[in-house]
Amino acid sequence: MEISDETIGRAVERFAPVRGQGTVANVLAFGRVLKELGVKIGLSQAMDASRALEFVDVARKGDFRAALSSNLISDKEELELFDRAFNAFWRTRRSGELSLETSDLPSLQPTEPEKDSTGSGENVEELLESLSSQEARGDEETQEIPIPTYSPSESLAKKDFSDLGIEESRAISRAILLIATKIATQVSRRKKRSVKGDEVDPRWTMRKNIKYGGEVIDLVTRKRRIKKTRVVLLCDVSGSMDCYSRFLIQFMYGLQNELWGVETFVFSTALSRITHLIRSKDIAGALERISNSVVGWSGGTNIGRSFAAFNREFAPTLVTHRTVVVIISDGWDRGDVTLLEREIRTLRRRCYKIIWLNPLLASENYEPLCKGMQAALPYLDVFLSVHNLNSLVTLGRTLQKMVA
Amino acid sequence: MNPKKLTIEKVQEALRKEKYICDRALATVVYLSIAMGKPVLLEGEAGVGKTEVAKVLAEVMETKLIRLQCYEGLDANTALYEWNYPKQMLRIKLEEVRRGDRDAVETEIFSEEYLVKRPLLEAIQTDGSTPPVLLIDEIDRADMEFEAFLLEVLSDFQITIPEIGTIRAKQRPYVFLTSNRTREIHDALKRRCLYHWIDYPTFDKEYEIVMTRFPHIREQLARHICAFMQQVRQMNFYKRPGVAETLDWASALLTLNRHELDEKTVEETMGCVFKYREDLHHLQEELVGKKLDLEHIMKEAAAHSA
Repeated sequence: MEISDETIGRAVERFAPVRGQGTVANVLAFGRVLKELGVKIGLSQAMDASRALEFVDVARKGDFRAALSSNLISDKEELELFDRAFNAFWRTRRSGELSLETSDLPSLQPTEPEKDSTGSGENVEELLESLSSQEARGDEETQEIPIPTYSPSESLAKKDFSDLGIEESRAISRAILLIATKIATQVSRRKKRSVKGDEVDPRWTMRKNIKYGGEVIDLVTRKRRIKKTRVVLLCDVSGSMDCYSRFLIQFMYGLQNELWGVETFVFSTALSRITHLIRSKDIAGALERISNSVVGWSGGTNIGRSFAAFNREFAPTLVTHRTVVVIISDGWDRGDVTLLEREIRTLRRRCYKIIWLNPLLASENYEPLCKGMQAALPYLDVFLSVHNLNSLVTLGRTLQKMVA
Repeated sequence: MNPKKLTIEKVQEALRKEKYICDRALATVVYLSIAMGKPVLLEGEAGVGKTEVAKVLAEVMETKLIRLQCYEGLDANTALYEWNYPKQMLRIKLEEVRRGDRDAVETEIFSEEYLVKRPLLEAIQTDGSTPPVLLIDEIDRADMEFEAFLLEVLSDFQITIPEIGTIRAKQRPYVFLTSNRTREIHDALKRRCLYHWIDYPTFDKEYEIVMTRFPHIREQLARHICAFMQQVRQMNFYKRPGVAETLDWASALLTLNRHELDEKTVEETMGCVFKYREDLHHLQEELVGKKLDLEHIMKEAAAHSA
């Protein structure tokens, strides 16, 4: 969370006028403050929160806090922000005591009792409205987006992989795994027989019950099967790709552990198959093992030769018309461009789709001018950038569509 | 225990009596859930005692625990009800031989007698002096569709069976959902729940848990165990051990009659704490490399007792 104390202070100030008009108004105002700070809060939650206060002794700060947080917050990541906002909001100007009731109205307000009461009503209503209208909108938003069930803070999503700290890369890894899982469990339109399906499979039911003399005793059902698409990853680990390949391999590691039939290769001047190396729980160790056993890690690049090796040795068994080939490279090539073009053409004919991911694509003045990239461009189905988490989400969606 | 006379203190005390040590915040949430009739969503790392809350509460309230373990592919049939199909078939066959009344048979085979009740229906139908505790475990493992379906049940506490009609809950069960956060739960469902995050326990709390569960354990050993666990959780393991592992380990050490932690003991019994080969390997390295220093841990444990 990178919300400063000032932001919290400002949010508290903004809703200060509604304070001091009874507990319900206070709780609603507090809900609004949290909303301002980016916490998703619906009207029903705010109402429940004020209802919960009937059951606890509001003079006990801990209980009061627990009653509010359990109703208003529904995500661990937001708890810290809640605590900070709580401390800022439920503090009187004079002492550290809690102020819940009308006793201390802000002294700045003009004290005209009638106006004040109508004003308070409006304010509360306004709050109610703003909460409920945003609730509806919030719902739509969450339903529209199919993949990113994990939402890291904005700054993290846009940060380039090349300058991440350890904590951040942990968060990224987690997000990567979630996206990979989501892609992996696509449901297919085709059905298969299963013990607990949604619908009866008449054909198999008849067949299976022949042994009872045609009497229907056992029902056979079927359900949608989880689609199994093959993905082959070719990842460039030459020097120019250093800061990115770690995350991309991690992404594929996530995919590989969730999906059936993911094959992972790395290449620089030569090609190596690393599928077996990342089949372990310990991703950090796996990365180390890979860099130890791969020839030419962080070295130069010969894309054409690497693809030729792939086409000759692995493609015949691994690549079919249902295989999605994902190539991750910046396209800087020191080898023969005609060879590269020939090999990628061969590969294109054999597979279902080719996706090329280029981390440099994001930088504003990048154009795929280097010869290797230019030669490959006509044969690609998708040309995407992968340099931060947002771009991985886009990649996730593209893969999801392709796989379905 | 009478749900109407509960207070936060009583909840905490009662849970403690059943050997569940919880902090006041969790007790408040449990109390509120009973008072407000709102389900609780408990999240936390594996092994911090999420499931245990519901189990212990069932003991405390002297009521039935109905558990629904979620898994991928869990559907309404398994969670709610199913017609006892073979039994219906047999009945029809029987009536065929007896030449019974067709209409009567038809209404009869779609009556409650032929219904196989699954956890959710059972939870709604149970009548007794106190409502049952419904534990929906590891909701994050179920599919999105099931979550949507659950939302419907939890908002109205009623279930419609087309052939019979709508069954409404006589009393709302105490509902607990747990999640390990392998995926996010949908906002709509979260909004209907009281949320509480159970963190790894502090040293003092963990020590209290160990002492409550194993009253005969030597205080010093318990302190060593807890200090060790605190240390290990700070380190970079694939699966950080929870309280469940602490208790397993303590029990193992008691069984083996070990009274203090030395390197050999730790190595022999580490299978209780770490369940992945990579983590065990990592631990060995750290022990050798003295990043995980037993002597230091002992000193820290001693400092806690002072």
